[in-house]
Amino acid sequence: MRNRNATAYRFLTPYLLIFAVFWVWPIISSFLISFQATRTVPWRFAPAFNWGRLIGDPAFFNALKNTLLILVIQVPVMITLAMVMAVLLNSPLLKARGLFRFAFFAPVVVGEVAYSAVFRLMFNLNFGIINKLLNSVGLPSVDWFSNVTPAMALIMIAVTWRWAGYNAIILLAGMQSIPEDVYEAATLDRVSKLKQFFFITLPLLKPVVVFCLVLSIIGTMQLFTEPFLITERGGPGGGTETLGLLLYRQGFRSLNFGYASAVAYTMAGLAIAITLVQLWLTREKQ
Amino acid sequence: MATVTLNNVVKRFGAFEVVHGANIDVKDGEFVVFVGPSGCGKSTLLRMIAGLEDISGGEIAIGGKVVNDVEPADRGIAMVFQSYALYPHMTVEQNLSFGLRMTGNPKADTERRVKRAAGILRISELMDRRPRKLSGGQRQRVAIGRAIVREPQVFLFDEPLSNLDAELRVQMRIEIARLHKELGVTMIYVTHDQTEAMTLADRIVVLNAGNIEQIGAPLDLYDDPANRFVAGFVGSPKMNFMAAKVVATEKDVAVVELLNHSGARLRKSLSGAPPAVGADVVLGVRPEHFGEAGEGDCDIPVRADVAEHLGSVSYVYANAGPEELIIEREASRQRASGDHLVVSIKAGRSLLFDTSGARIR
Amino acid sequence: MSSLSAARLRRSIALHLFLTPLALIWLFPLWMMVVFSTMPDNGIFSPGIELLPHGNFIDNFNNLQRDTDFVGAIGISVSVAVTYTFLSVLLTSMAGWALARYQFFGKGVVVAIILGTITLPYAVVLIPQFIMVARDFKLANTWVALIVPPLFNSLGVLFMRQSFSMMPDDLFDAARVEGVKEWRIFLFVALPLARPMLAALAIILFLASWNNYLWPLLINSQPGSMTAPVALGTLIGLTKVSWGGIMAGAVMLTVPMLIVFVLLQRHFIAGIAAGAIK
Repeated sequence: MRNRNATAYRFLTPYLLIFAVFWVWPIISSFLISFQATRTVPWRFAPAFNWGRLIGDPAFFNALKNTLLILVIQVPVMITLAMVMAVLLNSPLLKARGLFRFAFFAPVVVGEVAYSAVFRLMFNLNFGIINKLLNSVGLPSVDWFSNVTPAMALIMIAVTWRWAGYNAIILLAGMQSIPEDVYEAATLDRVSKLKQFFFITLPLLKPVVVFCLVLSIIGTMQLFTEPFLITERGGPGGGTETLGLLLYRQGFRSLNFGYASAVAYTMAGLAIAITLVQLWLTREKQ
Repeated sequence: MATVTLNNVVKRFGAFEVVHGANIDVKDGEFVVFVGPSGCGKSTLLRMIAGLEDISGGEIAIGGKVVNDVEPADRGIAMVFQSYALYPHMTVEQNLSFGLRMTGNPKADTERRVKRAAGILRISELMDRRPRKLSGGQRQRVAIGRAIVREPQVFLFDEPLSNLDAELRVQMRIEIARLHKELGVTMIYVTHDQTEAMTLADRIVVLNAGNIEQIGAPLDLYDDPANRFVAGFVGSPKMNFMAAKVVATEKDVAVVELLNHSGARLRKSLSGAPPAVGADVVLGVRPEHFGEAGEGDCDIPVRADVAEHLGSVSYVYANAGPEELIIEREASRQRASGDHLVVSIKAGRSLLFDTSGARIR
Repeated sequence: MSSLSAARLRRSIALHLFLTPLALIWLFPLWMMVVFSTMPDNGIFSPGIELLPHGNFIDNFNNLQRDTDFVGAIGISVSVAVTYTFLSVLLTSMAGWALARYQFFGKGVVVAIILGTITLPYAVVLIPQFIMVARDFKLANTWVALIVPPLFNSLGVLFMRQSFSMMPDDLFDAARVEGVKEWRIFLFVALPLARPMLAALAIILFLASWNNYLWPLLINSQPGSMTAPVALGTLIGLTKVSWGGIMAGAVMLTVPMLIVFVLLQRHFIAGIAAGAIK
C-alpha cells in the first residue's frame, strides 16, 4: 500500500473535526471545570471545592451506592437471560423462530420515553395491570413507587426488559460464527449438549460476553432516563437516584457545572477501571 | 509500446527488505515472465512497476522515462489482476469503460475502444451481464479487456490464470500468447507456475527470496541454469539432485562418486578448472534424462516405490538410500512398484553444483 | 432411530414450553402500550383487567395534541433523524474508508482514540458540550444542536472500517491503475459495494437519533424545538394530563420502528451484532 497522508486526512478531516470540537475539547474542559467553583460569577479556580464536597456528600454516596447496586444485580441477571435467549433461539429444534426473535428483540427499537411511560402505567399502585394480576392470583398489591426496594426492582426489571434482547442479538451472532463442525465432532465424541455449551460455546464466546458485559456496565452506570421518568426523579426520596441523575440535577437543575463535572469524572474513572479489567480478562494467555 | 528498465530496485516494508536491488531490462514488445515461489517478491516487483507500491530504492523507467514518482494512471500501463478485480455492481460494458468514463475520456472514443476490446476478446454478446453471471474464463476475458481498453504501452499480468481450472488455464494461456502477437506490446507477466513461464515468455526472470537468480530465454534456463535453484525450479517434474564427492581430477575433468548409489562414478567434462579432490558437490539430472542401463556413462541401480502412468510417459519414484529419484520412462516400459531397475546417467546431460548451489561449469 | 426422534420431540416440547411464556412476558409491555393507547383515561384508571384494545385511539391522540404539539415534534424528530443519518453515514464511512484503505502518518493514534472513546461515558463530555453549544455557539433550540454533536460515532467508524477492509485490494488497485481519483473510487466502487453494511449502519443510526433523549432534553427544551420523545417526556408525571394520550404518543414513536424492524430485520441484527466486532 502506498503512503497517502494527504488523501487519508482529506477523508478523515470532517470526522476528526467533529471529534476535536465536540469531544476532545469537552473532555479537557470538563476536567478543568471540575476544579472550579461555578456557582459564583466569574468562576474561580478552587481545586478542593467540588472534589472536597464530593467526598463528604451523602447524596453522592447514595447515588453511587444505588448505581453500583443496580450494576451488580441487574447486569449479571440480564446477561444470563440474554445468554439463555441466544442459546434457545439458536436451537435447531425451535419452530416459529421468527416470532420468538421478534418477541425478544422488539424492545431494542423501543425508545426510553415510550417504555418508561408504559412501565409507569403497568406498575401503578391501584390501577396498574401488574398489581391487578397479582391480586387476581391472591397476592397483595405492591407499592412499586413508594418503597425503595420495589422501586429499585422496578428499575432493574425495566432495564432488563429493554436490553436483554440487544445482548442476545450480539451473543447469538457470536454463537453463529462458531463453526458447525466443532459441534458435530463433539456430538460424535458423545459430548452432551449441556457440556458442549460449557466447554465449547462459552470459552469460544468469552470475548463477546466480555464485550456485552462492558457495554452493559457502562450503559447502566450512566442510567438516567428510567429513574428520571419511571420512578419520578429518583424517587422515593432519592431511593433510586443514580449518578446519571445526580449529574443532571447538579448540572442542569442547580446549574452547578463544577460539581456535576466532578461526578462525571467519577463515572469516567469507574469506566476506565472497568475497561482495564476487561483488557485484563481478555488478554492473550502466553 | 515501450521498454521497461529496473535499475537496482529495492523494496522495504519497514525494516524488512523484500526485494534486494533488481536489475531488469525489458525490451520493447517483449514478453517477460517473472517466476518464482510465493513470497519471492515477484508480485511486489510488478506492483512497483504499476505504481501501486512505493519504490524504496533504485529507479524504474518506462519508455526511457523514470516513473518513480508518477501516478499509476500516468505510467502508460494496464494491469490484469489475479482476482480479476471486476466491479461486481457494474455490467461488463460498464466495467470496461469505467476508467475512461471517470477520467473524462471523450464518449465516442470510449465507445470505440470498448467495442474494439470486446471484438478482440469475443465478449461482445456479454456486454450487459454482471460479473456474477459470467464463467471464470469469461471473467478473465473481461479483466483483460479492461486492460486493452486503456491502450497501454505495457501490459502487466499478476498471476492471471491461477483461479482457473487446468483446462481453461491452457486455453487462456494460448489466448494471451495470441494477444501478444496481435497487439505487439510489451507484456510483463507474474506467475508461480513454471509451465506458464516456459510456454509464454520470450525471456524469464527467475526470482527467489527477493533476488534475481537468472534472466534468460526459456530453453536457456532449462538447458543451462545458472544455479541449483533455477535448475530445480524450471522443468517438471523437478530435477533430481544427488550428493556426490570429487574423487579425482584431470585438466577440465572431474570424476565424481555418487554417495548414495553404491559408489557409481561419473567422468564430467568441465569448461573451467575442476574443484579440488575431496570437495562435496551435487549432481543434477532431469527425470527425462535418465537412460536405460548401459546407454550412458554410468549406471545406478534403484528400487521403484511408486509408478505413475500418465499414458505417454510414466514417472517412477525410486528410492536409493536417503535420496528419492524421479525417473521418466517411456510408457511401454512400465514398472511396478518394488521392481529393481538400473538406469544410466549421461555426463553431458547432467549438471554439477557446489554445496552453495552455484553451478560448476 | 425412533428413540432418537422421541428424545428430540421431548426436548423440542420442553424448549417451547419454556420459551413461549417468556416470549409472552416480553411482548406484554408492547401489547399493553397498544391497549392503553386505545382506552379512555377512565378505562385505564378503573379496577377491571383490560387486555384487549378499545377504539379510543383518535380521541387519545387529540388529547395528546392538546397537551403538547406532538405532530410538530414528530416532524422535528423525523427531519433531524433523516439529516443526522445521512451525514453520519457519510462521515463514518469516509473515516472508515481512510482507516481501512490507506497507510498514513498517525493512523495508530487515530485508531487508538476511536477505540478509547467507546468505553468513555458520554457523561464526561455532556456538560462542556452543553455549555459550548448553548452558551458559546448560542445554538440551543436549533436543529444544528441536535444533529452535529452526535456525529462523532466510534462504533460506526469501526464497523465501516471492518466492512471496507474485507473488500479485495485488487478492486481498488484496478481503479487506481486506470487513473480513477481516490474520492471517485470511494464514491463509485467502495460505497456501492458496501450497500448492505451502509443499510445496517443507517438503520441503527436512525434509531439512535429517533430515540435519543438526554441530549435533546437538555439542548432543545423550548416548546416548538422539542423532539417527539422530549415532548412526550414533559407530560409524564404531570397531574392533569391524558395518559391515553401519552400512550398514543408512545405507540406513534414505537410502532413505525417495529414495522421497520420486521421489514429490515436482517440489517437491524447485522448492525447491532457489528458492535461485537473485535
